[in-house]
Amino acid sequence: MTSLRRTVRDRTSLFFLIVLPVLIIVLVGSSVQDEDRFAVGLLDQGDDRLATELVADLEAAPSVELRRFDDLDALRLAIRRSELAAGVLVPSGLEEDVRAGRTAAVGLLSQPASTSGLAAEQAVRAALAERSAVVSAAAFTAAEVGGEPADHLVSATRAAEVAEPLTVTTTVQGESRFLPLGFTYSSATMLVLFVFVNAVAGGGMVIQNRRLGLYERMLAGPVTTRGVIVGEATTYLLLALLQSALIVGVGAALFEVDWGDPVAATALILVWSAVGAAAGMLSGTLLRTVEQAGAIGPVVGIALGMLGGCMWLLEIVPPVMQTIGHLVPHGWAVDSWIDLLSRDGGLADIAPALGVLAGFALAFGGLAAHRLRAQLAA
Amino acid sequence: MGAVLLIAAKDLRQRLRDRSAVVLGFVAPLAIAFLMSSAFGGAQDLHVDLGVVDEDGGPLAAALTEVLGSPGLDDLLGVSERDRADADEAVDDGDLDVALVIPEGFSAAVTAGQAAELEVVAGVDSPLSAAVVRSVAESFLTQVQATRVAVATAVGAGAPAGEIEALAERASSAPPQLPVEARDLGGRELDLISYYAPGMAIFFALFGIGFTARSWFTEQREGTLDRMAAAPIHPRAVLAGKALSVLVYGTASLGTAAVVTSLAFGAHWGPPAAVVALIVAVAVAVVALTALVISLSRTEQQAEGLSSVLTFAFALLGGSFVFLGMAPEALRRAALLTPNGWALRGFTDLATGAAASSVVTPVAAILAFSVVVAGLAALAARRRALP
Repeated sequence: MTSLRRTVRDRTSLFFLIVLPVLIIVLVGSSVQDEDRFAVGLLDQGDDRLATELVADLEAAPSVELRRFDDLDALRLAIRRSELAAGVLVPSGLEEDVRAGRTAAVGLLSQPASTSGLAAEQAVRAALAERSAVVSAAAFTAAEVGGEPADHLVSATRAAEVAEPLTVTTTVQGESRFLPLGFTYSSATMLVLFVFVNAVAGGGMVIQNRRLGLYERMLAGPVTTRGVIVGEATTYLLLALLQSALIVGVGAALFEVDWGDPVAATALILVWSAVGAAAGMLSGTLLRTVEQAGAIGPVVGIALGMLGGCMWLLEIVPPVMQTIGHLVPHGWAVDSWIDLLSRDGGLADIAPALGVLAGFALAFGGLAAHRLRAQLAA
Repeated sequence: MGAVLLIAAKDLRQRLRDRSAVVLGFVAPLAIAFLMSSAFGGAQDLHVDLGVVDEDGGPLAAALTEVLGSPGLDDLLGVSERDRADADEAVDDGDLDVALVIPEGFSAAVTAGQAAELEVVAGVDSPLSAAVVRSVAESFLTQVQATRVAVATAVGAGAPAGEIEALAERASSAPPQLPVEARDLGGRELDLISYYAPGMAIFFALFGIGFTARSWFTEQREGTLDRMAAAPIHPRAVLAGKALSVLVYGTASLGTAAVVTSLAFGAHWGPPAAVVALIVAVAVAVVALTALVISLSRTEQQAEGLSSVLTFAFALLGGSFVFLGMAPEALRRAALLTPNGWALRGFTDLATGAAASSVVTPVAAILAFSVVVAGLAALAARRRALP
């Protein structure tokens, strides 16, 4: 209890317990959003009605969020920085080119290998397709039956307007192996990451108590070694639970995260807090100085989080790395959250993973208790 | 000057003797870069396993299938013909990424000028593959629609209605007007390792703030500072020596990360001169932040707490953990309030092919940040009558 009160009283710990996780959830959640609108840059050098109409078509496209640029280099830079999914160049003299029978092209810039680049490119092409069809039809008609392309623009526009639509529909099927994107994604993975990182970094508590001679003083009183160990373990567990409760609460209250089946989610949080608490105790008995705990804790926690799929989901890494990810507890915890949040799983679905996690908690905890007992005896 | 170097060398020796400083400054960024490159090593090339379900059997279905199997799309698409039930099951199991269904009567509907649709059946976890196939299907339909509009316009203007097939043939082979042409973006595409290698290296370099601030208070407690003050050395020389050691530690830590991740993991940092300029600027910012932490803290614990809060807050806001390119504009602006946010912008531009001169603005911004922070530190120190 003393340890717990000390932590809560320390403003730095509060930052790591509360501010940091919430900040990360906001950052990751707002960066990993479902993409239905793409930021598209526009360099509009058009000087005639056709250009104006093309730009209006782009503005009207539901999936395009148009941002205007005055400078090609700035546009390129914004795309390379991934601030834009694509860029459109509307040149000058379009109408004149079309009238003269020259091919006039709209330029498109995008990162060829990115999802959003591809999708944005398609959105732009779709937005401009009708205008292009009209101009082409007018040119074709002029070639077939005579006259100037401009003479046929009105009838071509009408033909395009009355043409029945040709569309592509998308059906999504199968059970997801991903987490829902946005704040659900960030809240669930950061819950796994932070409970563990803070617990391991909090290993410093045990070290400090050891250094300050608190254990000796406690043992001098009517407290058994077992009592001290159980007390420390309880502290870590309570801290981990507090941290989890905070993230769950903030996620649900501010970001409308649905944490899935309540019984299963509670069980998962309890077991994961136990894993974190045990790992924190273990780090406290393995490391020698508070500095080491503060320094090595975050590194180990982040590295294990990366391996176990907290920073990116294991679905996207090579099979070897997926296997390695399940050698650390994080892989099982993230898997369980995917079961709960993406597939409406319940306690039965995550029971095997919970078993594995409990095994980790027992192994870490057993080792930590053993070492602490030895250290207390010394 | 001799005293400055002596103090700097002493501090550095101490730092290197502390295993956690070595772990954080040198081992950790490399270990994490290694993890990232092994996770993403194979993820760059996209290949889509596509099942085509032809329930139509007409000429347009044949044309579409031909487009999908064309040499230009060879590397991207692996096409196999399936029946509907088989394709659904394969998508469910993940054997296929996507299926494209051409429904019965598709060709007839298109030829008769009626509405028609193609169906993309996507595995829930293959959004990129689905986008690729959808994109190919849509551009095919766009062409078909353009042909229909051209034929209708021509017939309306008096072209012989009896020759619709021949007209359609000619219309589809006429070059399209107002095509959308892909232009070369220039530069190179940003790969994850080239972003996170500097991102992580800077994050760990920021831990230098905590080490130095703590060692300051340790020396105060143990009387080392008093003894230095008693020696015939100007107090400024003591400060300069300490600052120099932080500068060297930060530069060495970042420099090691740059060299090793370039050689071992293929990270692209950019022209050496520009990279060095950014690295030194970041190290200067670390020095200034260290001075601020020392001047604001009274005890070792306070220094420790303040520096870890600063380290994590900057790392997060600046984008060391989370790639902020696609984040809302407010967050991207906030990143430019941090030195590492500017540094990462510089490194991102270099990694995507910008010229070495592009780092002038980031370097200037980081130095300006350092000057402000150092000024605040001096103010705080004067108030507290620290040396």
